[in-house]
Amino acid sequence: MPVPVSGLGDMAEGGNNSGVLQVRLVTPERVLLDATADAVELPSMSGYLEALYGHAPLLAELGAGEVRLHGGSSADQKFFVAWGFVEVLPERVTILAETAMHPDEINLGKAEDLLKQAEKTYAEAGDNQAMYDEANTLMRQADEMIASAQGKSL
Amino acid sequence: MANVLDLRRRIRSVKNTRQITKAMKMVSAAKLRRAQERALQARPYAQMLSNVLESLVRRTDLYNEATGEIMHPLLVEREEKSVLLVVIAGDKGFAGGFNSNIGKAAQKFIDERVKLGQNVDLESVGKKAIGFYKKKYAAANYERTEEHYDNDLSTHFETIRHRAQQVEVTGEHTDFLVKTEFEAVSKLSHSIIERYERAEIDAVYLVYNEFKSVISQRIVVEKLLPIRKLGSHEITASEVLSDEQREAAAKAATSEGISVNEPEETQIEKEAKKFGTAEVDYIFDQAPERLFRHLMPRYVTTQIFHALLESVASEHAARMTATDAATKNAGDLIDSLSLTMNRVRQAAITKEIIEIVSGAAAL
Repeated sequence: MPVPVSGLGDMAEGGNNSGVLQVRLVTPERVLLDATADAVELPSMSGYLEALYGHAPLLAELGAGEVRLHGGSSADQKFFVAWGFVEVLPERVTILAETAMHPDEINLGKAEDLLKQAEKTYAEAGDNQAMYDEANTLMRQADEMIASAQGKSL
Repeated sequence: MANVLDLRRRIRSVKNTRQITKAMKMVSAAKLRRAQERALQARPYAQMLSNVLESLVRRTDLYNEATGEIMHPLLVEREEKSVLLVVIAGDKGFAGGFNSNIGKAAQKFIDERVKLGQNVDLESVGKKAIGFYKKKYAAANYERTEEHYDNDLSTHFETIRHRAQQVEVTGEHTDFLVKTEFEAVSKLSHSIIERYERAEIDAVYLVYNEFKSVISQRIVVEKLLPIRKLGSHEITASEVLSDEQREAAAKAATSEGISVNEPEETQIEKEAKKFGTAEVDYIFDQAPERLFRHLMPRYVTTQIFHALLESVASEHAARMTATDAATKNAGDLIDSLSLTMNRVRQAAITKEIIEIVSGAAAL
């Protein structure tokens, strides 16, 4: 268990000193998860990162991938997120995700459709950089979705 | 005077109507409860998103220091020559003045703009709005051009708008109201943003029913783009319920056990307000400018999503009130018909007695 950096643990109001993270996963529709965990893995845009208790304050954009919780009351749940945003505070992690679901809720057919659509966009992009970017994002999302559904996510 | 049989038949028919409106009221109340719940659950996300944006605004330069240009296209203000109005109505009638009030507010906006010589595009949401504007205004005409340049194998696409009339309908949406999904709304907002960036439109307005509680609703015209101040609703016109309507709504709600007060803030909502605003130096995983660019379109989507959820809740509330009034009216009608029927019957009996008595007296 990481030792909280002195002072950081009490910084936010209502902060706890229990050494566990309060984790919330919020989607546009509702608050999907409100639990405690020892550690959270997050698919940031620049690669996976893991937050433990006492982490320095961080804001990061999330790409497509899996949010994984460990320990606490989280029961080691996993969630697939497509785009999101995370705020890490020493005793709290709040994830804003545009799409979030359990890996077993993923519709494989839909994911493959998405992949095809992305490939089509890519083929049609011509010299339009924005379309390439969009195609790449979609492709990554579809790949991650399929990997997550098959339990092969990195 | 009608005979007893006719009256009895009419009473039976009104009773049936009352049964139906009563059932409709109960259905609307259940749907309202669910819609209210959904609108409530959607709040933390919207709050957090605008918080993050606000805190990013403090950390990024919105203006280019050298040229003074605004860094994000959605913040650029232009003279309003063409405006887009998103009209959010309902799918079904039987909701009192819900649809017609929205229509009135929208028409007022359109007329004002047309008088100023501006072009107005319409994006109609809900079957009632679609049907109304389809008859009234022409659909917009878009052309997608393909071009091939020499020495270049790829194809270049461009979308050109051919505007024929001052008021045109650019889009129709039916699937938002039954099941409001973020993904579908996202498509609409992307198309709006794209048109805004292309300068096809210079401002975007929403007209919808804002829902605070059953008795506190109003029709608002809200400016969506350009964004002037984050996290706030820029209302340009509004119309509140009359006291009479409010009373009727309150009565309908209490009979179904729905609270007329604004729901209280939950713990999560309170914490959502603090999201991204801790007085610390955050480490930014990506450059704040980049985050800002990615967040802006999502902010617009959230605003529309929010408006839709509120409108749906308002619609159910309006239908509940309307059907409650209909149930009450049916009851009154039954009472007055029963009174007439009893009178007619009594008159017939009296007449018969008189006949018998005078017959006996004649003997």
